[in-house]
Amino acid sequence: MKRSIQTIAAALLAATAVAGTTGLAMAADKPVIATVVKISGIPWFDRLETGVKAFQAANPDVEATQYGPATSDSAQQLQIVQDLVAKGVDALAVVPMDPAVLEGTLKRAMERGTVVVTHEADNQVNTMADVEAFDNSYYGASLNERLAQCMGQKGKWTTFVGSLGSRTHMQWVGAGEENAKKYPDMVLVDPNNESFDDANGVYEKAKELLRKHPDLAGFQTSAGNDVLGVGRAIEEAGLAGKVCLVGTGLPNPSAPYLDSGAITAIGYWDPQKAGMAMNVVAKLLLEKKELKSGMDLGVEGYNNVTVTKGAGDGLLVVGNGMVLDDKDSYKAHLF
Amino acid sequence: MRRVDGQFLVLAAINVVLLALGAAISGGSFLSVFNLQSMAGQVPEIGLLAIGVMLAMCAGDGGIDLSGIALANLSGVLSAVLVAGLVSSAEQEGLYSALFILGALVIGFLGGLVNGTLITRFRITPILCTLGTQMAFTGLAVIVSGGKAVVVGSPEPLSSIGNEFWFGAPISFILFVAVAALIGVALKVSPFGRWLMLSGSNPKAALYAGFPRSAVVTATYALSGTLSGLSGVIIAARNVNVKWDYGASYLLIAILIAVMAGVRPEGGYGRIVCVVFSAVALQLMSSLLNFGGLSNFVRDFAWGALLLAFLAIARYDLVGFVFSDRRR
Repeated sequence: MKRSIQTIAAALLAATAVAGTTGLAMAADKPVIATVVKISGIPWFDRLETGVKAFQAANPDVEATQYGPATSDSAQQLQIVQDLVAKGVDALAVVPMDPAVLEGTLKRAMERGTVVVTHEADNQVNTMADVEAFDNSYYGASLNERLAQCMGQKGKWTTFVGSLGSRTHMQWVGAGEENAKKYPDMVLVDPNNESFDDANGVYEKAKELLRKHPDLAGFQTSAGNDVLGVGRAIEEAGLAGKVCLVGTGLPNPSAPYLDSGAITAIGYWDPQKAGMAMNVVAKLLLEKKELKSGMDLGVEGYNNVTVTKGAGDGLLVVGNGMVLDDKDSYKAHLF
Repeated sequence: MRRVDGQFLVLAAINVVLLALGAAISGGSFLSVFNLQSMAGQVPEIGLLAIGVMLAMCAGDGGIDLSGIALANLSGVLSAVLVAGLVSSAEQEGLYSALFILGALVIGFLGGLVNGTLITRFRITPILCTLGTQMAFTGLAVIVSGGKAVVVGSPEPLSSIGNEFWFGAPISFILFVAVAALIGVALKVSPFGRWLMLSGSNPKAALYAGFPRSAVVTATYALSGTLSGLSGVIIAARNVNVKWDYGASYLLIAILIAVMAGVRPEGGYGRIVCVVFSAVALQLMSSLLNFGGLSNFVRDFAWGALLLAFLAIARYDLVGFVFSDRRR
């Protein structure tokens, strides 16, 4: 009996060795660009994936694929990034769940010669280039300006962010608060509610806020699913058109709420274009090309990018891809 | 003749199969030194939490520790905040590291002590007690950090725990194996270990036999808390930052590892070596799926299937059936 176990073990080890060596021989030689998103399977990042696929179709000389954790947890995203670095991908295009958590791993990746590009993380120190669709303060202020216009520049309003660690979200609501200071009659109440990008959770939270503040007049939201949850709460409370809601969202899922008036306006940048732009930048860096201000990345909204120094040694690449859509204009951008 | 431990054999076999499979689909790079090191570096933080869960389960009476990752985050966050008030991480690296590690371990120990006291003194069911403390620990970490990531930086020697290697293995992994071995031996030979297992398998008999049951259970949860603290140290060393919501998925994974390792949920039985192998197996499987470019939703499915398979193996004693000639 003992012998047979030994035989099995020996056979398995031999199989391992054989598999290992044959595998080496057939390793692909095209440069691999791996895109890692915050969560898989939500509309925002599904749309981003179409960008990665479009980039792949246009650039057959590289291999571009998208990865992402099944749950919204920065530790899970960290594991994926680590495994991909170990696997030996040539470039990483990451949308960090929490930039702080990824710093150590991205540093090691760059030390190993992996090209690192990030998105939605202009404070990432360990990156070669961070691609932003637009200037975040401008976006936050624009959302708030639209909200103020709807609210008649007065009344109670509140804000939602994906999580307190989500840097861009905090910048948007921060810029929103700054903008609202222009209007002394706008009163911010219970700010920075965390949504974790979960439409159901946001729905409950919004109902709670509407009960707590019956005179609440406006919401400014940040994560992609927030408008859906808040919109549903507003609609069910019979407040569509009475309470204003301006936030980040995508046209297709928001369409019914835009039509009913539960959502006043949605702001967004097309994640598809952002996905393409990240991959274009990654490819440029792989080819050791320089990134310059005024450069055309060949992607809509990124035809004239601004390149400045980033938070670390890397660059900050900012496009002009902001879109603000309401009931009358969203039908032109259905996705 | 020594009885063969079926669980151990199956776990070992699964590890070998996963390594072989990984090599086959990745074209060898799965077995590259860099990847083996990278995977080994990912195991300790979750492995330590799983050992904590195992100890709590062994204590019996529905023992479980749900507060593991919350306490690990609290240890890291609170210790970083406290120590940063005393010394700078960039200037006095050695002192900062020592104080940070000590702080995290003490906070972990105290947190575990709170769990143990609540469970023994106030007779709160462990699952409810640790659920409550889990939220309390998370909340406290949010409060002291203001919801933001707390920078620990890369002071030596703390940073080397997360990033350097001894004899080709990550220091954190060596630390994990050493701690696991220490606890494993302690469970086998010390009176504490015997009391824990025996009173876990029959609390009533243990009571009448005059075991110091309350002390044993309290010590068990305190030990589990200390392991969480150590896990917090490793997280800080690896990630440069600590944050209250890190590893939200670890809670269930730690339990999964313990159950896969054949720890009896009713108490009284569990082997550390199986927990280590089980943690490694889960790591191999998740890295394998990333290497294969499969969706992470497949991973949840694969883990669930693996867990069910293990429960079936334990239930029907399949290993005993296959190796029946070993049993007389």
